[in-house]
Amino acid sequence: MSKIDRREFLKRSGALLAAGSLPLTLVDVAFGKASTDDFTFAYISDSHLTHLKGKQFVRNWDRGLIRAVAEANLMDPRPDFFFYGGDIAQLGKPEEIDHGLEILGALRGNVHYVMGEHDYYLDLGEHWRKRLGPDHYSFDHKGVHFVVLNSIKTFDDWTYNKWPSAAERMHQMARLDNPQGSPFMVGDKQRAWLKDDLDKVSKDTPLVVMSHSPLQKIYKGWNFWTDDAEQIQALLKPFRKVNVLYGHVHQIQTNQIGNISFNAAMATSWPWPYPATYKQQASYMPKLTVNMNRADPFFERDATGWQFINMHTGRVDVNYRLPGNQNRVVAWDDKAGHPDDTQFQDAADRIPPQTHY
Amino acid sequence: MIKNLSLAIALTGATMSLHAAPLGLPPVPIPADNPQTPEKIALGNKLFHEKRISADGKVSCSTCHEESMGFTDHKRVSEGFNKQHGTRNAPTVINSAYMQTLFLDGREPDLEGQSTQPPVNPVEGGLPDHEAELKIIRADPDYVKAFKAVFGVDREHITMKEVSKAIASFERTVVAGDSPFDRYYYGGEKDAMNAAQVRGLKVFLEQGRCVSCHRIEQTQALFMDNRFHNIGIGFKRIRGKEAETAAAFLKSKHGGADVDHTVLTNENMSEVGRFAVTENLTQVGAFKTSTLRNVELTQPYMHDGSLKTLKDVVDFYNNGGRLKDTDPVSPFLSGGIRPLDLSDEQKQDLVAFLKALTSPSMAKLASKKGGNTP
Amino acid sequence: MKKRQIQRMITAMTLVTAGIVAVPLAQADNFTQADLDRWQQEYQAVVSEGEQLFHGGLGNKNTVSCDQCHPNAANTHAETYPKFQQQLGKVAVLGEMINWCIRNPLESKPLALDDPKMIALQAYILQERRGVALAPGKH
Repeated sequence: MSKIDRREFLKRSGALLAAGSLPLTLVDVAFGKASTDDFTFAYISDSHLTHLKGKQFVRNWDRGLIRAVAEANLMDPRPDFFFYGGDIAQLGKPEEIDHGLEILGALRGNVHYVMGEHDYYLDLGEHWRKRLGPDHYSFDHKGVHFVVLNSIKTFDDWTYNKWPSAAERMHQMARLDNPQGSPFMVGDKQRAWLKDDLDKVSKDTPLVVMSHSPLQKIYKGWNFWTDDAEQIQALLKPFRKVNVLYGHVHQIQTNQIGNISFNAAMATSWPWPYPATYKQQASYMPKLTVNMNRADPFFERDATGWQFINMHTGRVDVNYRLPGNQNRVVAWDDKAGHPDDTQFQDAADRIPPQTHY
Repeated sequence: MIKNLSLAIALTGATMSLHAAPLGLPPVPIPADNPQTPEKIALGNKLFHEKRISADGKVSCSTCHEESMGFTDHKRVSEGFNKQHGTRNAPTVINSAYMQTLFLDGREPDLEGQSTQPPVNPVEGGLPDHEAELKIIRADPDYVKAFKAVFGVDREHITMKEVSKAIASFERTVVAGDSPFDRYYYGGEKDAMNAAQVRGLKVFLEQGRCVSCHRIEQTQALFMDNRFHNIGIGFKRIRGKEAETAAAFLKSKHGGADVDHTVLTNENMSEVGRFAVTENLTQVGAFKTSTLRNVELTQPYMHDGSLKTLKDVVDFYNNGGRLKDTDPVSPFLSGGIRPLDLSDEQKQDLVAFLKALTSPSMAKLASKKGGNTP
Repeated sequence: MKKRQIQRMITAMTLVTAGIVAVPLAQADNFTQADLDRWQQEYQAVVSEGEQLFHGGLGNKNTVSCDQCHPNAANTHAETYPKFQQQLGKVAVLGEMINWCIRNPLESKPLALDDPKMIALQAYILQERRGVALAPGKH
């Protein structure tokens, strides 16, 4: 065992850029005087709360969401608002959605919600919309245009005609590796809405697009996939700065397609493996991705987490908060023109927990 | 003097030589810049027991790390200079040589660094600064002679570096394995543990979920993992006030306050645990896993000494990180902690197993001068 | 050679030629293509059963299923066993780790290593890991 140099030790232990308590101050430090357009929001996703019976829910998933909320509430200064990235529930039940909204109700601030397939396929989003409003919408904040999509729709035939009951349909969509699954999409109608919405926005306005599915085509077998990805990307192309934030995949993913940055959210519930670890089919993981650190399955929260987003100059820096693991930061690199893991992007800087799978 | 000499002999006897590893333990890691010599160890031993290194001449390392009490003090939280209370329970020195960080929040990277803090902490040694400590040592011709012989430095050049190296060198001899568990598991002696202890080992490895943090491996068992976990102890103290406590702590730390002073004098701030060092939001309330070797000798338990007996500890874990199973669960609880559903017999067996981790050499020290084994 | 001996030899050879008396030649493991097909089907039936158990069929009270962390048995690292498994504190085989998962995230009772369900689970997992190089001992 080598003795760690004391200075090195204190450096590692200390509060570098990866610290989690003073995000706005770090933006000041890193980028000079903070402009009024710089702000922070927190992003929690994929809690998959599962109802058992009565008031009983699966303890593991409950703990994940409770923890993320408690940690997010420690942020000082407070974030401007919160986003929830989809899949509050596991089987779309009103009990699950209500239970999740009760836990999320403890967040100290305004919360915006994104629809997930596990919220949708039991009652086609009826209870979700009753409690939360429209499942696609937009708003502006400090010069940034936020668009929220319902990107987990699928073909009408699969949705309406294939299954004998709503519960069966939900179960089928709940299974990730389902050979009888159906690909996600935004769909013609919503794309038309999106086009209309974006027509009113100047091309210099930074965009943040919140989606549950990746708006890319990564691995169809697990629905890491949006079938009309190209058409949506085409609508986003005219804008100078576009950031897509998505859930569903329960892992760190990073990509840059033209002017669009893509960043995935961690789940509070459980991790999905990287598709490349499944050897019987090919997948298309964006090369920029530096894998999340391999977790110890003993710790139920390891390989789960939440994130806060620093927006500066209209670009997104994702600060992943990973309990029981090493926090990660994927930040916009202006020179490179794409997001970069601030510590591990270079192949030479990778550590075994990122490569040894 | 004689007492210390016999301690040194007892310890070296137990380890058989300066470098041999006891049964169940790997070789003791020795840093390249602080090799072991008998003279250095003897000097460190003397310093460890030196009550003059304190503001009132009554407090030494051994005050809180007393060999007849498992190298702890059997107090809930330690008492130092002027009988002032700290906020934390004294961890044992036994097998601390294997730790990759020292203190319950890991704020020092090695034994050398750890030894420099208590003498100048207001509720421990109470000395104003390290110069005061060195002045005491330099004033003693026996120490001057010993430092010259061991480190080749003359009186004015005795620094904290030499002092801490000597103390660390002594502590690296306070290692002990060869417990009934070791003889059963690694020594092939099937009757080294009784039936309850064998059943308890099974609970430890399976339903008790202990082994992932209190590690047992194929050929060695450190019973610790060098990591930090929030297991729910102390949560009640700052419940609902985590944000303000963390913020207040950071303000004081960035304002220049010494972390060592703050965490041992402010009971609320002590509860932020590892966060005090890393400022990582996900580590609020996390403390370092302790080794379970010789745990029978080191009561009371946990960072705040709040659990008196091993039965209390097992009950706490069985309830999923709570004293009563109706208590609220800390939202920052480690993902490794959850209700265990152990039967009464399983809990008793687990306690029996924990008692099988006592090394004969340490039990012997504890039975001298009326020190207690519970 | 005596006449009777010759007689016996001729009888023996006739019997051998007729295939009635087995002779230790190259017939130790006697199977046909039809056997192979049938046994492959029997195996696939167990794989199917394993797939069903893997995807929620174990009946554990908390309803957590293996495929939630291991879709298509990804990240099971089945090809790396036996190996030192830190969560078990020893060198272990795949079945022991499956039991760890059943005890822990699934919060249920472990299976005997020769339980048909355990065999089915392993058949499904290994089937999904087919073609991946063996790497015993790899963490």
